[in-house]
Amino acid sequence: MEQQVDSLRAEALAQIASATDASSLEAARLKYLGKSGAITALSEGMRNVPKEERPKFGKILNDLRAAVTGALEESQKRLLDAADSAAFASLDLTLPGTFPAPGTLHPLTQLMDRAVRCFRRMGFAIADGPDIETEWHCFDALNTPPDHPARNEQDTFYLPDGRLLRSHTSSVQIRVMENTPPPVRIIAPGSAYRRDEVDATHLAQFTQMEGLYVAERVSLADLKGTLEFFFRELFGTGTEIQFRPHFFPFTEPSYEIDIRAAALGGEWMELAGCGMVDPAVFEEICKKRGDRAYDPEKVSGFAFGFGLERLAMNLSRIPDIRMLVENDLRFLKQF
Amino acid sequence: MKISLNWLRDFVDCQLPASDLETLLRRAGLEVAAILERGVAIDKVVVAEILESVQHPNADRLSVCKVNDGSEHPRQIVCGAKNYKVGDKIPLALPGAVLPGDFKIKPGKLRGVESEGMMCSAKELRLAEDAQGLLILPPESVAGTPLTEIFPTETILELEITPNRADWLSHLGVAREIAVFTGYPVKNPSPQLPAHVEQASRLLSDPADKVTFYTLRKISGVKVGPSPQWLIDRLAAVGLRSINNVVDITNYVLFELGQPLHAFDAAKISGDIRVRAAAEGENFHALDGKEYKLPAGSLVIADNNGPVALAGVMGGEGSGVTESTTDILLESAFFEPSRVRRASRSLGLFSDSSYRFERGVDPEGVATASARAVELILQLAGGTASEILEVAGELPPRAKISLRHDRVRSVLGLEISDAEIDAALVRVGLINSGGGEWEIPGYRREILREADLIEEVARVVGIEKIPSRAEGLFAGSSDADLAYDFAMDLRRRLAGMGFHEGRTSTLVSNADAADFGASVALKNPFGDDQSQLRNSLLPGLFAAVVRNLDQGAKSIPLFEVGRVFTPAGEFPRLALVVTGDRFSVDWRGGTTRSWDVFDLLGAVRDLGAVETNPLPSPPSPFGAAAEVFLHGKKIGLLGQLHPGVTRQLGANAPVLAAEFDLATWRTLVSMDRTTSPLAKFPGSARDIAFTAPLSLPYGEVRATIESLKEPLLESIGLFDLFTDPKGEKIPADKKSLAVSLSFRSPERTLTADEVNAATDRIKAALRTRSGIEFRE
Repeated sequence: MEQQVDSLRAEALAQIASATDASSLEAARLKYLGKSGAITALSEGMRNVPKEERPKFGKILNDLRAAVTGALEESQKRLLDAADSAAFASLDLTLPGTFPAPGTLHPLTQLMDRAVRCFRRMGFAIADGPDIETEWHCFDALNTPPDHPARNEQDTFYLPDGRLLRSHTSSVQIRVMENTPPPVRIIAPGSAYRRDEVDATHLAQFTQMEGLYVAERVSLADLKGTLEFFFRELFGTGTEIQFRPHFFPFTEPSYEIDIRAAALGGEWMELAGCGMVDPAVFEEICKKRGDRAYDPEKVSGFAFGFGLERLAMNLSRIPDIRMLVENDLRFLKQF
Repeated sequence: MKISLNWLRDFVDCQLPASDLETLLRRAGLEVAAILERGVAIDKVVVAEILESVQHPNADRLSVCKVNDGSEHPRQIVCGAKNYKVGDKIPLALPGAVLPGDFKIKPGKLRGVESEGMMCSAKELRLAEDAQGLLILPPESVAGTPLTEIFPTETILELEITPNRADWLSHLGVAREIAVFTGYPVKNPSPQLPAHVEQASRLLSDPADKVTFYTLRKISGVKVGPSPQWLIDRLAAVGLRSINNVVDITNYVLFELGQPLHAFDAAKISGDIRVRAAAEGENFHALDGKEYKLPAGSLVIADNNGPVALAGVMGGEGSGVTESTTDILLESAFFEPSRVRRASRSLGLFSDSSYRFERGVDPEGVATASARAVELILQLAGGTASEILEVAGELPPRAKISLRHDRVRSVLGLEISDAEIDAALVRVGLINSGGGEWEIPGYRREILREADLIEEVARVVGIEKIPSRAEGLFAGSSDADLAYDFAMDLRRRLAGMGFHEGRTSTLVSNADAADFGASVALKNPFGDDQSQLRNSLLPGLFAAVVRNLDQGAKSIPLFEVGRVFTPAGEFPRLALVVTGDRFSVDWRGGTTRSWDVFDLLGAVRDLGAVETNPLPSPPSPFGAAAEVFLHGKKIGLLGQLHPGVTRQLGANAPVLAAEFDLATWRTLVSMDRTTSPLAKFPGSARDIAFTAPLSLPYGEVRATIESLKEPLLESIGLFDLFTDPKGEKIPADKKSLAVSLSFRSPERTLTADEVNAATDRIKAALRTRSGIEFRE
């Protein structure tokens, strides 16, 4: 009997050890521990064993069962470990990824949003005005003389009713002051139009960012500090900024801003116009409002404006301005 | 505006190099657009005299010349030019000279004949941009003289002058500005001429004209002829061609002092000269040979026969100086700038004179300029000048402007002492009248207000002295902020879904606007393709589709956020246009299909809009379309383009398009989000499958189910739709639908009985719809 148990154990352990996969291991389990397995059969033979020998024989059988069960578990673990460690053997992580690419925002939108976020950090709110403007908002209120060349039909688009497509977003300054008492601290991104022939550097429609800050005791020092901070935020602390005296009808003193930054290609570029709001503009606003809220003796302010297209072109090395409106996906997907 | 450095140094003794001047002038607000070099800087180019010229034996177009180059031996040169005669002096490039373009002169044979150099044109020496034939030098030139001595190099500054600074339109004016910023003294012109001024009010005949200041001086016995080389050179330096000595002198003084002058031939003036307003439609023969009908109110200089000049703009034909002129009437005047500007604009006539008069010349310089011109005329053309300068009108008085020092400090944000402020203004030439009053000289007549004085202080002090202040107010969100954020949020979500943002022009053609209702037209469009303001974003995106199809794009998912324009106003819109492949196929294979209208519906649903109302007759260019609603309000339109339009675009897959009004949309959504409680009890689902007439919209099936308001019904989901056009599995006029009904109670686990009962009620309701049959 004991001999029979010993050889059964040896046979079972050998078969379990030689199992190479889950199914051959399961076959071994059934052969020995299954309903009609050899060990099960032995257990059933217990009925015929004399009562006094049963404890001894029972222990032998239990030992056998434990040994076989242990070997089965061990083999199961061995096979699982082997399978786990083989799981990634053939995985090639140099293959290209396959997640579908997302869409893109237009480069002008991205640039505008960078500028908007920066100005918002500085406490500017957004303001808006119509593209179709009255001549008063676009020119008269901005101290532009009646025979100024910009009013020419050669240069500005007009509607048959005498209104026009704003030639600069500065008209939003007027819209804001007309409707809101000081202090005002706004930026206005938007379209402006000039009757230009379209070529590699000109579009009839372009995008500008306008800014206005009017309150008590706003000075040229505020203008300088604001725009220096903005351009360094946008193009890096190494950005060089020069204010060059210039002339605009609606600011005095007026400046053009030249900047040089590695991000913009490292060349000086003429970027923005700015200045202290001309008292004549405030007077015109007071007249229109019918109050003295914008009395130039009480408030002062600065205004600035810059175009986004040329900035985007320098920033992204875009050779032709028309690429910004052609909507070629090969171009758009680069942003 | 060109400024010659040599000429400039007549008025300010400043030897700074051009690059330093550029920096200095930029600081003053005067932009140097370019620094140009003139003259000859080429060695081994000398004056040569042509001794003889014979026909080249082997070439019809060439001559063989013997020239004297100043050495003892005549030199033989082969030449192709024809514009010379024996005895002329010309520039000769000797062997070893290097002409512009790295053109090295070597001795050699031309068609078999020895040539020991090259005779040059003005163009070859870069003295002119375009010149035919040899440059014929003045007869007094001495053979052998290096050309570098005859045409010494000089530097020209090309300036961009802002419209407020008329005083910068002359060498004197720029010299003054350099003096302000360097401290070198200005050498003001002081022509020596007896000035016996005689009031001649008869010159002005318009009593309403309180502005004109007019002077006239007669010079008799002049000899009109060619100008000397120095005068020709100086005019050439500022881009003018020489005409004759008298005309050249008036131009010279214009560029020197900024005062336009006009010289009449006294013999051609009939009777007295009068400055008067033109009669409406009065004829004027200008010296450009054209006849103009003058607008009312323009100012003319007239004699007994009519206008002989349009004041400040252009002289008349036949009254100007010619070779035969002997007596001159020299006009120097100040005209009202706006009057000159209006006349010049309305006739489209522009001249160097009108350019200056309309910006404003210095009235105080009128007599000086006249004297300067007379001095030069006497010197170069001879004759005698009348002792009398006839003068009409009054010199406009100088403005006096008050300045508050505190105001300067407040506007500039700069701590600056009263004395420093005053010093800055004195430096720009203003006169301190005491008591905070400043007197403005005639050449700075644009200074009219305190703000103008503050600007001058800022300019002289320099912006680099102004501190940078970083302070500001808090800013609450405006409605424009909310609109911006809403639009940016939509943009980012669309980009996240795979759409690319485009930007198209606001200006579109008539045809592009025609499909979308009333549009706004431009009065002066640049071309027919840009004659209307867009009333929809779609045509622009369709054009983008065409472009991308041409470029071979497989999948074109585009959107745009922008403004449209109708007679009712301006409206923010969002548009989507998609066509081509829906999925990208990668190295693992997989399949794609074309974008279809349900993809676009899904995208729009993900943006928050779920309700649609199909239109039985969709508007052009759609073939199928539905209105899109949010909370019961219409926000836009979505659909598939008509097959004909699709073919026109060159697309061979469906083109889907949608357009939404963002202003309406924004009023219907909130940035705030509320949540539903998470379910505590398991739900239960039942699938129902049935056939329905092909024409029955799913929306009606859904509406029928929803109308029962089953309290336990949580959601309805379509999970299969089958049609069989061949009628093999189901009849061709039927469709098979499978819908999953999900039931749940927030309070308890449902029993099978109650779920079955609810499902049966739903089925019963559907059965009442004619044509719905359950497969059981």
